[in-house]
Amino acid sequence: MAGDDDDNAKLQILKNALYDEARNHGSEERLFTQKDLIDLGVIPDSNLLLLVKVVQSLCDDRLLVGVSSGSGIAWRWRNREDAKKYTSLPNEETMMVYAVIDEAGADGIWNRTIKNKLNMHENLVKQCIKHLETKGYIASMKNVEHPNKKMYIKANLRPSDRATGGPWFTEGELDTAFIDQLKEIIFEYIKSKSAYLGSLPGQSANPALRPPRKGTIRGTAPSAPASDADAASARGTKRAATDISNDDSPAPARAPEGGGAPARRPPGKVYLPMPAGYRHYPTVPEIAQLIHDTGITNNTTLGEADIQQLVDVLRYDGLIEPIKVNGRRGYRVARPTKQDTVSFAKRQKDREAGIGLDLPMFGMEPPGNGLTEVPCGRCPVFELCEEGGPVSPANCVYFDQWLEI
Amino acid sequence: MEVTQNAAELCALLIDELYGELPSRIFAVLLSRGRSNLAQLAQYTSMNPRQLRHGLAVLIQYNLLFHQSDGGNTVYEANAAFAYNLIRTGKILEMVESSFGPVAKDVMQNLMISGQTRVSDLLAAYQIKIDRTKAAAEQDMDIEFPEFKLNGVNGNYHEVKKPDHQVKSTAQLNSIICRLVEAELIDVVHSKSFQSPDDIVKEAESQVVANYFPNGVKGGKGKAEYEQKVAEALRKIRSESKSLKRKLESNGAASKRRKLFAGIGQNGASNGTANGTANGSNGVNGANGANGAHEEEMDPALDPKQVIRINYEKCLVDLRNRRLVQFVCDTLGETTGYVYGVLLRILTKQLSRCQLDPRLDIAEDGNENQGPASVTSNELLDNMKTSIDLSLGIGKAAKNIISSRAAEKIRENPPKPKLFIEAAVDGDASADESESDDDESSDYDSDFEEQPAAPAANGSKVKFADGAAGKEQRMDRPMQLRQHLLLLSESHQHFLRHCGTNEWTVDFGPLLQIQREAELDAVIERTSGKDGLRLVRILRTNGKMDEKALQNIALMRKGELQQKMLEMQRAGFVQIQEVPRDNKADVKKSLFLWYVDLESSSTMMLETSYKSMVRCLQVLEVLRQKEKDVLMLTKRTDVKGREKDVMRKEYFDRYSRFQAHEKQLFAQVLRLDDLVALLRDF
Ligand code: SF4
Repeated sequence: MAGDDDDNAKLQILKNALYDEARNHGSEERLFTQKDLIDLGVIPDSNLLLLVKVVQSLCDDRLLVGVSSGSGIAWRWRNREDAKKYTSLPNEETMMVYAVIDEAGADGIWNRTIKNKLNMHENLVKQCIKHLETKGYIASMKNVEHPNKKMYIKANLRPSDRATGGPWFTEGELDTAFIDQLKEIIFEYIKSKSAYLGSLPGQSANPALRPPRKGTIRGTAPSAPASDADAASARGTKRAATDISNDDSPAPARAPEGGGAPARRPPGKVYLPMPAGYRHYPTVPEIAQLIHDTGITNNTTLGEADIQQLVDVLRYDGLIEPIKVNGRRGYRVARPTKQDTVSFAKRQKDREAGIGLDLPMFGMEPPGNGLTEVPCGRCPVFELCEEGGPVSPANCVYFDQWLEI
Repeated sequence: MEVTQNAAELCALLIDELYGELPSRIFAVLLSRGRSNLAQLAQYTSMNPRQLRHGLAVLIQYNLLFHQSDGGNTVYEANAAFAYNLIRTGKILEMVESSFGPVAKDVMQNLMISGQTRVSDLLAAYQIKIDRTKAAAEQDMDIEFPEFKLNGVNGNYHEVKKPDHQVKSTAQLNSIICRLVEAELIDVVHSKSFQSPDDIVKEAESQVVANYFPNGVKGGKGKAEYEQKVAEALRKIRSESKSLKRKLESNGAASKRRKLFAGIGQNGASNGTANGTANGSNGVNGANGANGAHEEEMDPALDPKQVIRINYEKCLVDLRNRRLVQFVCDTLGETTGYVYGVLLRILTKQLSRCQLDPRLDIAEDGNENQGPASVTSNELLDNMKTSIDLSLGIGKAAKNIISSRAAEKIRENPPKPKLFIEAAVDGDASADESESDDDESSDYDSDFEEQPAAPAANGSKVKFADGAAGKEQRMDRPMQLRQHLLLLSESHQHFLRHCGTNEWTVDFGPLLQIQREAELDAVIERTSGKDGLRLVRILRTNGKMDEKALQNIALMRKGELQQKMLEMQRAGFVQIQEVPRDNKADVKKSLFLWYVDLESSSTMMLETSYKSMVRCLQVLEVLRQKEKDVLMLTKRTDVKGREKDVMRKEYFDRYSRFQAHEKQLFAQVLRLDDLVALLRDF
């Protein structure tokens, strides 16, 4: 008997030593092969039989976890606290359920998957889960990809980005307010950094103000200097292209409502495109830095990939366009001269005061064309409408409205 | 032009509007029944021969029919494209006025009113006018010219005819016609002008077979040769309408004039209006104002028997230029737009039509219709109006944050078509997820990537050196111009291509494609909102995608996304495709992929436009019926022209309200035509 005790004591010492060495040599993630364990130099004479015994015993204590990897079986260690949770469980089944949930890690696992994996009866799985939940070992969670599935995760883990949907989700819901807020900031930043805020020569650049058709030479009142830095003194004698708008070739004037003109613009200011080859168009890292500095994302960390995602959305919205200069990938505002030049702060203030709520959050009014203006282009009964039919041009209410009859 | 039901209805309405119901009915029948002879027409329309003959005569006069007789039997066929072009009358006149001055517009307008005309008839008509004007001037009395019926469709041409805007002498008229012929806006009617394109092709084919392949066309080589011969024959026929232009050119007057007025000749346009009034008395158009009289003598007198008509193909080229300039104004600003307008004018001077005929125009070296491949910086500079301040319209930046290497990059080849589609939204970014550093020309042929830019071109190096670091450089005019050109070249839309040192060209195909997408986008954004637009553009960039992937990129809630996609599917903006996962094709397991099809969306947009135009005209007719009594009144000769004084207030108010509505409706039809032109004709 004494020999057994002896052996046990010796085994215990080896177990502790092996466990500690393994922890020294890597994280909980690291897989140790048999050779790795022997090479730790704990087992005397590299005795394989002894190693097997020690490892087996550690596995029984849940301190080592066997994993079958490509090149045979391997092990990783588990911390004592977690191991104790296992050993404190009442029965094998509960332990198995806990093991499966443990395995699933931060992604969590669906209760049906547990059932199928273990080939257990549903009620039994339910029992086990209930036990584990009351003990506080596991927690239920929501997965954005499968909002209707009941998922479980180890209680002390934070659900992975994949499960929560990443930074754009708050409690499983896409946080559009947050996204819009960030998009607006990013857009404002790109706009102000990728275009040049100059003065409007006269008022005529706004197509809405141009008289329809028959452009004549407008009064050639000397226009305000285009910018402070612009010292062109010849201005008095030269006219901007806008002043001669129609006498040459450009610009058949548009119908007033089709202009896509900026909704808000303090008089006399306009964004101009930067010269070709401009090298300072904002890049994603710069934008990410800006967002970080504003601190509006205090409890979410946004990586460059996340910012890229928002920038891409702005691009698809047609508000900005990518531009590469000498391999530097930046972004610039689309149609700069049509953008409004109201400052971000002023717009925020206005909106709080209830001004301009009907205007787009940012960017300009969408451009129009013949189809967007004519009532038929937006008519809900377009398909049904025919001459002599129940819906017809003769009784069309939309045209009446449009013509203000 | 493909004639759908909506298009047919529109053409008939237009003819009704301009030439009355009789021709319109015949035209509609010809459209729906195809080519017919007199007997058939009588049967379809139940008109008597006299009515029919009258109607047909009107249609033929205005070039709205193809006809062909063999033996005593004449068959007629509707020329829908020309009928549609009636809408553009006003735009064309406006264009002619701005390019050639008001007098030329007047001539063009008369040509439109009279349809195809013998030169002698036109001269005679003008002679009467000239005499009457003279007489009137002496007696100081009002004279009334026959009003142009297109008033409404074409905006207001009610303007009082200022004496300066009228032809002064037949010599002047002769000279104006020469000018318009040289610009190809007017061409001559020839023996084949009234044959339908199909017939012409068939005839050419059978002639080639008869002359060169009596034993039939055999083998690949034979076929190629045959096709080449047919193309040659067709080109010959097509060029016949340019015979007068060639004659004028060979006469040398044109080239003499060019020498005399090198540079300004091109934009007689601008000067026409800018200083036209000043020397209007002898100015055909401003450019040759001072030397007008002298110049008229240089033009040969035209053959009085020559029959001339308006050449809509070339008019479309000019309308397209205007449209593209508008596009640049919207995207980059008006000064750049002005520069672009001058560039397009030079570039398309020799371009006869917007769309090349694959059969005739492909791989034809030295084809007279291709025009110069590029424009040089100097040509541009010589054509810029001196009154334009080119320093405006572009932001200022210190020279040390400008890469002239990137800006000056030369691209010898047009963008590749495939990559270009992605580039439309994605620019250079399309292919570069691999993030290599030297792929800034990813949508261009790689052969030219290593091409060093030419920073010293145009002395830009030197100019840059002028400004002290950290300050904006002061630029001379060539450099200011260059800034606009570089801006256009760097644009996302590829407005311009810097195709060689100091050489610039435009790739119309890809550019117009982008513009079509932009118009489609505008419609989508207005009907399906920003979210809808975003989804469509994601699909356009990335190709087919399932809902999940779409959701991840668009950052939209699942429910909203699904709803939006269904809505847009109904509207025809997106399509869905089922991809079975296994060969059992279990629908539940299938993958559903969304995609966009620009082609079908464009077709749909075109149809919607036709139909909307039809509705506008119908609404107008409804209004006319409603205000019938008032309108009858205004037709009375004692009321006409003095409506305000003679009519009771209530009636006059109704009349002026009707006029406002009419104007609004016509304006809308024209706006819709802008879209149709872009989708179909440019
Ligand atoms: S009901 Fe009115 S708006 Fe609708 S399609 Fe008919 S005419 Fe156009």
